[in-house]
Amino acid sequence: MESMIYKKKGPLFLFLVPAFVFIIVYLFYPFIVNIINSFSVIQGLGNLPAGVNAPWYQNYVRLFQDQKFKTALVNTLWMLAGTVVFQVGLALLLSLMVDNIRKGAQFYRTVYFFPIVISAAALGLLFNMMFMMQGGMINQVLAGLGTKAVNWKEKFSIQTMLIPVMWQYVGFYFVIIVTGLNNISEDIYEAAKIDGADGIKRVRYITLPLLFNVLCTCVTLSVTGALKVFDLPWIMFPNGMPVDSTWLTGTYMYYSTFNLGDVDYGSAIAVFIVALGVIIARLANTLLKEKDY
Amino acid sequence: MKKFLAGMLSLTFALGLTAGCSSAPTAESSSPPPAESEQATSDQPAEQSAEQSADQPPDAAQAVTLNVFSTYAGSDGNAPNYQDALAAWQQGTGNKINDTSATADETVKGRIRTDFSAGSEPDVLFYFTGADASSFLDKVLTVDEIRAQYPSYATNMREDTSPKATDGKWYAVPVNGYWENLFVNKKVLDAAGVSLPDAGYTWDQFLIDCQKIKDAGLTPIAASFVDVPHYWWELSIFNNTSPATHNTIPQDINDDAAKAWIAGMNDIKAVYDKGFFPENALSAKDEELQELFFTDQAAFLLDGSWRANTIVTRASDDDEKIDEARLAEFTVVNFPDKGLGRKSTDVIGGMSSGWYITRKAWDDPAKQAAVVDFVTFMSSDEQVSKFAGANSATALQNGVTVDEATLNSLNKEVIAIINAATAFTPAVQDAVSGDARDAMFQAIPQMLTGSVTADQLIGDFIAAFTPA
Amino acid sequence: MKGKFSISQTIMYILLSLWALTTLFPFVWVVNNSFKPRNLIITDTFAPAAGDKFTMANYTLAFKRINIGGAYLRSLIVSVSVMAAVVLLAGLAAYALARYQFKGRALLDSLIVASMMFPVFCTIIPVFTMQKSWGIASSGHAGLSLLSTALPQIAGNLTFAIIILRGYIRGLPIDLEESAYLEGCSAIQIFFKIIVPIAKPSFATVAIFSFLWSYNDLFTQMFFLRSKAEFTITRLLNELTSMEGTNYGLMAAAVTLVVIPVLIVYIFLQKYIIKGMTAGALKG
Repeated sequence: MESMIYKKKGPLFLFLVPAFVFIIVYLFYPFIVNIINSFSVIQGLGNLPAGVNAPWYQNYVRLFQDQKFKTALVNTLWMLAGTVVFQVGLALLLSLMVDNIRKGAQFYRTVYFFPIVISAAALGLLFNMMFMMQGGMINQVLAGLGTKAVNWKEKFSIQTMLIPVMWQYVGFYFVIIVTGLNNISEDIYEAAKIDGADGIKRVRYITLPLLFNVLCTCVTLSVTGALKVFDLPWIMFPNGMPVDSTWLTGTYMYYSTFNLGDVDYGSAIAVFIVALGVIIARLANTLLKEKDY
Repeated sequence: MKKFLAGMLSLTFALGLTAGCSSAPTAESSSPPPAESEQATSDQPAEQSAEQSADQPPDAAQAVTLNVFSTYAGSDGNAPNYQDALAAWQQGTGNKINDTSATADETVKGRIRTDFSAGSEPDVLFYFTGADASSFLDKVLTVDEIRAQYPSYATNMREDTSPKATDGKWYAVPVNGYWENLFVNKKVLDAAGVSLPDAGYTWDQFLIDCQKIKDAGLTPIAASFVDVPHYWWELSIFNNTSPATHNTIPQDINDDAAKAWIAGMNDIKAVYDKGFFPENALSAKDEELQELFFTDQAAFLLDGSWRANTIVTRASDDDEKIDEARLAEFTVVNFPDKGLGRKSTDVIGGMSSGWYITRKAWDDPAKQAAVVDFVTFMSSDEQVSKFAGANSATALQNGVTVDEATLNSLNKEVIAIINAATAFTPAVQDAVSGDARDAMFQAIPQMLTGSVTADQLIGDFIAAFTPA
Repeated sequence: MKGKFSISQTIMYILLSLWALTTLFPFVWVVNNSFKPRNLIITDTFAPAAGDKFTMANYTLAFKRINIGGAYLRSLIVSVSVMAAVVLLAGLAAYALARYQFKGRALLDSLIVASMMFPVFCTIIPVFTMQKSWGIASSGHAGLSLLSTALPQIAGNLTFAIIILRGYIRGLPIDLEESAYLEGCSAIQIFFKIIVPIAKPSFATVAIFSFLWSYNDLFTQMFFLRSKAEFTITRLLNELTSMEGTNYGLMAAAVTLVVIPVLIVYIFLQKYIIKGMTAGALKG
């Protein structure tokens, strides 16, 4: 379905070169250095490599033997499923509703953005105070009901870690989907109404197909986001607490690089994350394309 | 839109550049510099003072700009003292300072290492002396090298108590130090009917007291083994060594040091198994569990000297006036001893940071005299007294001079402990800092839950640790 | 569409408001606690800051220690530059990737997805060394330091912006572009005259997020902004609260001070998202 306009490839370079110069110089060149680093010996971020690992692929072997990394991978896959289903799903639901109410859409659009704006440090503190065992908000409510205090961060550690992350980024996908909805003109809806399509039918047969590209974008973003999510989990569950059970690939990479100063191993984790992310994103996009388009 | 975007781009970068031109890269200082500048000139090295008359500021042509890094930033209690000192030195010498101080978190440590490997290190820096400095020791000068040209450099400091680098040499001129001891919430002790620990507090008595506190429904000890196992690790080992042997690093799982370390770990596990730590000591951050101590739910908090400032802060709602009545409910005592090599008055403490001069500045003829003068000024008796105050040990030959009238109740208790100390022993964890140590700290929760034994924990450390 | 309240409308309002409560709560909590004495933030965290629980002490403490005005200005300089550059460069690239068929497009797509996952702590050291060799990093010159912060942030935000814009532009009907082409417009003219106006909501979205992420990106700022004369507001307030782990009052005040400009930018740019709805009268 290529249009006449785009047969001449001349302007293509003008469009692509500025952005890709930035991307290559500031992202790809450093990441290639990072790949080389993953085969070297580097102790302490900022120090120069002190030789090559023996054998050179040692870090990648270690990845598959490392129990903490295994935990991180399993938790991250949960995070990934959660972000795609709940974050994007909830954002879609909320944006469809906001699109269909008569008044106050502006208010909801503004308010749903708030969690993204507040720093992870502040949100971490707030959630810690909600889930805190001694005198935390939830346990205070439970005490009022005569129930014993629950140690949420031990008994329900994975849930306690995932829920705030899910919640925080719903607003991000909400804004993107709302933007996509604005693109669907009233005329189409009016025409559909004449044909008798309204309510759920209208959503199913008009809105969702027209939103398809935007939803694909959201899936790609949520896959990559889940694999590198770091700040809020790290503030709420540092060092994989309790007892190495809550590692994520993002937090484990940070820990290896900064806390242990094992820069080359951290680099290997980064390479692994990127490879995994590209594969999953491609897979998701092919699946989606086959189904609907 | 095109015009708008292009306009925005050029406008913002233009603004960025002019903002840069108009603001000279100097330290912002909120307070006026003190008038006296005598000691700035009196500490000049012999060759220099001959060329410069004592009361006349150097000509503008000679003035240099020094790049200075320190950890006196953020809410470090000494940040205001540091800013005052910078202003005083600039005023006295006519030189300028480009201050890049920052709180030394992991990111900033990475930045410092990057600077040294990329050749953009500062001229002088106040930084740690342990493993954090080991990667740049070839790029800074030892005190002896400097003394070869400036014989009076750092002569007001005792060499024996000044902190040494991982290669055993003396590079950094110390200012203020640290100690680690047991903070006490008296209100909780009263509620549990426990009397205040005295000078000879024993480990057995401590365990009895903890049991009483626990029976009263309170938490005996506020501690987290998630992110800050450092203090319990250090003091538990100290209880099984002595000031003379504490800084010996295990080489073999059967040597005396290894045995002491294993015994120390087993002491922590015993306390953990008795339930004297918070129930969520493995599932809450240190900062959360400290709250138990500040809010009268936990009796003891083992921590470093900087925590004294936090207690003062938390005891009152206003920085202007201290709530003395509330502050009096907190105190600090010596960590209980097991009656082995360590007496309860033997304290973990010392200095773990100091001023370094980099070769880059030293080799620059325009800067050499200025950096020496700067460090001499920052480590003068007067400045060190100001920075160390009542809360810390120093390496000064003559000790600090403190104005008694400015002290609060906690300060006075600290001074009493420091004065009564029979030994100041540096923390051994600073001598072994690095990935092997941090992997050991990370595994302490596993030891407490029993999936790893203390022997394995220390054995793994010995296998992973390579001495500098 | 006009009419009385229907049941479905009521249910929607209830659900939307429930979610709004969860998103409003942290914000209200932070602002409320920033006006409370610091010890009450832990012990009495949900009480309103009123009566003897009200204090300005956290703000006076924040303002006493720092020069806040210059830091706001520098934040705006960096983040607005990043925002403008990202919108322009990502817009052009996204347009090309959405409309042109060419060899290697799938590869470029994958490269973009991959680069979104490059963690900033893996790329920072080479970027620093590179910018140091160009003389813009660690130069002691405030303008250059701001530039050396903005450039990596532009690159870092380009990739997600391209993905969002590409998805949006792909969904646009091609008719308008074709009629413009018949009128003699070149591809570049089509971009600025057709694509930019009708994709304005999506551009506004990208602008908001690149502003926000540049503004909040403490890590890059820690490396490139060193002296106080260079600090942005995020960097400055982080320095202020970094050691004060337990002074939550100061932290709440700092968060409030950091958040306000972002909300202003969001509310301002949101107008464009809404305007797009009414002005972008597309014929499907």
